[in-house]
Amino acid sequence: MSTTGRQLAWVVVGLTVALYVGWALAPTSALYTKWLDGHRLLAIAAVFKLASLLAGAAWAFECRDRLEAGNPARPAWFLLSLGMLSSFAGQLCLAPYQFVFAETPFPGPGDIFYLLAYPFLIAALLIFLNAYREAGLPMGSLGERALLVAGVGVVAVVILRPVVATAGPLLERILTVAYPALDLVLLVPLVLLLRIALKLRGSKVGEVWLLLLTGFAFMCAGDICFAYFLALGAVELDPFVHATYILAYFLVASGAQRQLRILKS
Amino acid sequence: MTTSDAIDTVVKVLAPHIGSTMARSAIEAHCHKLGIAATSPLSPEQLDLLLGKLTAGLNIFVGREKSAAVIGDVRQALGALGRAR
Repeated sequence: MSTTGRQLAWVVVGLTVALYVGWALAPTSALYTKWLDGHRLLAIAAVFKLASLLAGAAWAFECRDRLEAGNPARPAWFLLSLGMLSSFAGQLCLAPYQFVFAETPFPGPGDIFYLLAYPFLIAALLIFLNAYREAGLPMGSLGERALLVAGVGVVAVVILRPVVATAGPLLERILTVAYPALDLVLLVPLVLLLRIALKLRGSKVGEVWLLLLTGFAFMCAGDICFAYFLALGAVELDPFVHATYILAYFLVASGAQRQLRILKS
Repeated sequence: MTTSDAIDTVVKVLAPHIGSTMARSAIEAHCHKLGIAATSPLSPEQLDLLLGKLTAGLNIFVGREKSAAVIGDVRQALGALGRAR
């Protein structure tokens, strides 16, 4: 993809995110009542998510392919690719419902793949961490890491308590808790990698990690918002969730693409 | 060439790829592990050991080919530094 193509993609995604934020803030405006109804917006979001997830999976796989056998980061890129592909399969399961019936079934068959994505993504981040540790990069002390885990534990209690207390069918409740809980697990390697990413700032590799980590952070935020809005029954806030996922998948895909450009250069 | 001069030169070459903060902290960590003092002169053997460690770290971020090219640039910059003195 050329520089102009990449810049254009950023502008398009920026406008799309603004469109969904606008939908949440001013749902009765003419734009959302006359031209872009809920059905169309759901379909547009699905297309953006599918495109980013598929492109991200392909770019991450190509990164894996470009790294020589035995490179400690190689399996991490492969697992990241599988995680993106699994999320793509989840989104693909939802797409027919969203395109035809303008609805998103929850729980639905897509949740199997969305849940399956987490072990791949968590393993990918852990392997990256291990690779950087083996390379002798400073990781912080054991005490600092223990403090981080304890901090995430506290956040987990605060975040999960109201979600756990929500009434509803058992499977729906399990999934509503499972997503933010798995996100919190993902958060541990994410924060540890953030320490490394901060030291990489201003560099080409730093750009990769800035994109990847911001994308993962938006993914976690999207899941937590989804669980909360579902628990509160605040359907009108769904556009924020769409905007968060569109941005999250695009950022992760852009990170993989940036890494690929480094490997190709 | 003192170790600290060499470190500054290596950081300058690595900075666009992994950032100056990461480059400096990785070099300093490797020097510490290899027992290389910042104020003492850097022997060719110590330099090879240090660059070997840096290559392994850089491999993870940019792959073997690119990593070899960057370390080649480092050697060139260090060579130029040696000639300048």
